[in-house]
Amino acid sequence: MNLLLQGLALGVLTGGLYALLASGLSLYFGVMRVVMVAHPAFLFLAAYLTYTVHTTFGVDPFLALPLTVPAFFVLGVAVQRLLVARLAPDNLAMMSVLLTFGIALTIEGLLGTVYTGSYKSVSMDYATRSLTVGGVHLPYDKIIAFAVAGLTLAVLFAVLVKSRFGQALRATIQHREAARLVGVQTERVAGYGFGVGLATAAVGGTVLALITPFFPASHWVWIGKLMAIIVVGGLGSVVGAALAAIVLGVVEGLVLVTVDATWATMMFYVFLFLTLLARPQGFFGGRLAHRF
Amino acid sequence: MARVRKALTIMSICALALTACAKSDEPGAAPPPGQQQGPVKIGVSLPLTGDFSEPGKGIQEGYQVWADQVNAKGGLLGRKVELIFRDDASDPNRVSSDYESLITQDKVNLVFGPFSSRLVIPAAKVAESYDMLFVEPAGAAAEVFEQGFERLFYAAPAIASDHYDYLADYLTGLPADQRPKTAAYASLDDPFAQGTAYGLRDRLAAAGVKTVVDEVYPPETTDFAPIAAKIAAAEPDLVVGGTQFEDSVGLVRALQELKVQPKLAAFSTGPTLAEFPGAVKGAAEHILSPVGWSATATFTGNQAMVGRYRELFGGAANEDAANGYTVGQIVEAAVNAVKCVDAAKECQDKLTEHIRKSTFDTVVGPLSFDDKGRPEQAHMIQQYVGGKVEIVLPEQARTAELVYPKQDW
Amino acid sequence: MRTVSRGLALLLAALAIAYPWLAPNYYLVYAGALTVMYAAMSTSWNLLGGFTGYVSLGHSAFFGLGAYGTGLLVVRLDVPWAVALPVSALLVTAFAVGIGVAAVRVRGASFVIVSIALVSMMNLVVQGWRSLTGGSTGLQVPSPFPGLHRGETHMVFFYLFLALLGVALLTWRHVSRSRFGAGLRAIREDEDKAESLGVPTGAYKVAAFALSALFVALAGGLYALWFGSLDPIFVFSILIGSYMVLMSLLGGVRHLYGPLLGALIVAPAGEYFLIALGETQIHLTATGLVLVLVVLFMPDGILARFTRRRAGPSIPDESADQRLQGVAG
Repeated sequence: MNLLLQGLALGVLTGGLYALLASGLSLYFGVMRVVMVAHPAFLFLAAYLTYTVHTTFGVDPFLALPLTVPAFFVLGVAVQRLLVARLAPDNLAMMSVLLTFGIALTIEGLLGTVYTGSYKSVSMDYATRSLTVGGVHLPYDKIIAFAVAGLTLAVLFAVLVKSRFGQALRATIQHREAARLVGVQTERVAGYGFGVGLATAAVGGTVLALITPFFPASHWVWIGKLMAIIVVGGLGSVVGAALAAIVLGVVEGLVLVTVDATWATMMFYVFLFLTLLARPQGFFGGRLAHRF
Repeated sequence: MARVRKALTIMSICALALTACAKSDEPGAAPPPGQQQGPVKIGVSLPLTGDFSEPGKGIQEGYQVWADQVNAKGGLLGRKVELIFRDDASDPNRVSSDYESLITQDKVNLVFGPFSSRLVIPAAKVAESYDMLFVEPAGAAAEVFEQGFERLFYAAPAIASDHYDYLADYLTGLPADQRPKTAAYASLDDPFAQGTAYGLRDRLAAAGVKTVVDEVYPPETTDFAPIAAKIAAAEPDLVVGGTQFEDSVGLVRALQELKVQPKLAAFSTGPTLAEFPGAVKGAAEHILSPVGWSATATFTGNQAMVGRYRELFGGAANEDAANGYTVGQIVEAAVNAVKCVDAAKECQDKLTEHIRKSTFDTVVGPLSFDDKGRPEQAHMIQQYVGGKVEIVLPEQARTAELVYPKQDW
Repeated sequence: MRTVSRGLALLLAALAIAYPWLAPNYYLVYAGALTVMYAAMSTSWNLLGGFTGYVSLGHSAFFGLGAYGTGLLVVRLDVPWAVALPVSALLVTAFAVGIGVAAVRVRGASFVIVSIALVSMMNLVVQGWRSLTGGSTGLQVPSPFPGLHRGETHMVFFYLFLALLGVALLTWRHVSRSRFGAGLRAIREDEDKAESLGVPTGAYKVAAFALSALFVALAGGLYALWFGSLDPIFVFSILIGSYMVLMSLLGGVRHLYGPLLGALIVAPAGEYFLIALGETQIHLTATGLVLVLVVLFMPDGILARFTRRRAGPSIPDESADQRLQGVAG
């Protein structure tokens, strides 16, 4: 029983991290109908930059964020304006996958050339301790990851709901043509949407660097998991993806402590196929999947 | 149309003419004249990119240090050694095509092995079918030696399942009241990593140590907290990880977080790498690990190798580099003994036969092989004591006493 | 015009058949066989991708299943290889029908995601099911021609892959001229319209999916017999799947010979990058950049760009409405 509670608690914490990592993917898909295979590669790019800042200046890894977040925002806008926007609109889904696949390979190759293939890790003292509540251990690094993810997502939602840019962005997500008709500069908004998506990758990468060692090819592992999350949540729905992330995190945690790691990973794909059979548009919103 | 027909005719004549002549690399063909003089070319395919790139790099450096030293001494049989490296990108198609091209196109005199049990079998198949000697630094899984290879030798002290032998001897030799009662095993789904953990598991289980957790995780695993939670619930005296690097770090951290305090913890591979103590900080203290090589040992050429490595690559040599170097030492000794170094079957046969019968002095100690190419020696056991890596088992090699039970992490 | 194109095809075929004898050493025969294998796989990928526009990054799942199916039948049940190969391919095809029913319910992006997931899933299953497949230890398949030495085996498999390529090309051509092909093209242009005009889109998509899986599975089975050792993480690799896509795209997905041309370029180019830049990981970057450039500047492939005339049968650039009329009529 205690084991189940422990699995549940870990699952919720991990799910929060998944929500942060998947939020960028939902944004890209929302604004551009683009499946961004390179998102995990950017996560690890951010992780490496965090590592460099941490080891060169000896500062807390989170102090890398003021550097990486703006840089990634600009990078995101550039990727959208210079690359993705050039793709022919027919069959955008296919071409964008291949384009971003190419970007992912490019990043992996550069990381391998600069940092070599060896594992890097950022170890903080607080990363090995945990908070014990009623016999359940909550690791501090996971609590921090969860908190950072929650905070980032809260800011993201606030921006999406409150700001003018957010309204324009949501309008673009919901109906691009209509948004353009009412005067939204959808091209520019899409660019900023990409920028915001990549900015979440900067935060996500820092958190990842804190909790797991990484090497240039690490991003492959995350592609399938994050993709499964955004489909289960409903493509293009940031809220849906966040909910699906928590659910899948919990399922993974429970299966891990009761069965084994192979089945836990398998759960992502089982849920993916169940979603497609039962509700192809996703469980938590987003009517986009069926149409695009 | 007429032109097309003409072209076709010419082509078929060409084709017919060429059918008559055999390929220059027909197995058993006489070695090309180029192999009798000029440099001794040695072909190696290594994973310089992809999943196994880190150990691949170490082995490459070990080979380079060896070649550098041989050339400084005047070469093999008076000829310079030239290493030809190919990147296999951790992909078995590539490994095969690399060795295929090294043997048939570059006409190398010798081949050295690649890295990882998962790539050694396809590579050995190629070498075997061209009758090439195949001494390899990294294929330690039991399966490698069950394929009927006749020219394969593993250049390290012991195969995977024997890595923990000394530790098993030590634990089973403890007085009954001190002996651990329960043990938890977590292993990466990989033939080498599992081999090490299961070798210890089987011996301890036979001695009455109860297995309370036996967990296998796929290579994609990034989150080890739930596995640690399972171990925590079982409260074992002994935790054994069949690990590579990132999972050993992940497991140690997760075990700390979940406040698992075993009397003894042992992990394969990870703790032997220089990055390990930095990644887990103080938790490294008293962690045990099987190791086939020690930087402080005084075996033949070891100190010279460590020194030259530092000059060439500016860091401390690791076990992978030592394994690569060992391959070089064995082949060098065999070449000097049989006085030939070409790819022809007779020469490769002589080399193989010599290696099978002899004992070699290497940086990992004296090595000899059984009829399947398995080394017949044993791995040492290392432990972090006072922040330093010390050899604690066996007695004759030890630099410090084994600390048991370990301090809390 | 037609005879020239046919003559050209014959000439190429003759060259291909003569290749193993022309190659100066067995490595080049080996590399040739690998290239022909990729050509056969990308041509079969194009049965789905080219006609319907559905991009599967996960065809290596069928490659791996075909390989493991053949290998397991030979190793565990002692089935002769000539029987194991087609039986395994048919089983995979049946499996593909099942997956197809779920997968083609969604379009575009979701379909790509499903295809990626399929590879990871099959990898987990095969790696996890240790008692049957050998798991991470791998599966060793005995050579079907123990009497031949390695080089001769390469030659035999070169011709086997070549035969498979031939069959795949003929199938593609046959489909492109059939009513079935017209229906698939209609799906590519406008799926909803096609459906409203009475094209059984669901059944057509599943059929194309399964047909394309069949040939990839056959290639996988041949690979298992040829290569002899299978390892789940290597046969169920996203990279193998993406090579099929890259080759098809580079050559031109709307052309019969597009994927073949792509394979002839990509496979040797990959070797070149690896040898020229192999010391560091920068060769990954080179491959990535090539992919980016192709997608940005040559999305219709080389054949579409450099030959206004059609090289062999291809999917004509008629408007969607014309095509739909053709289907309806």
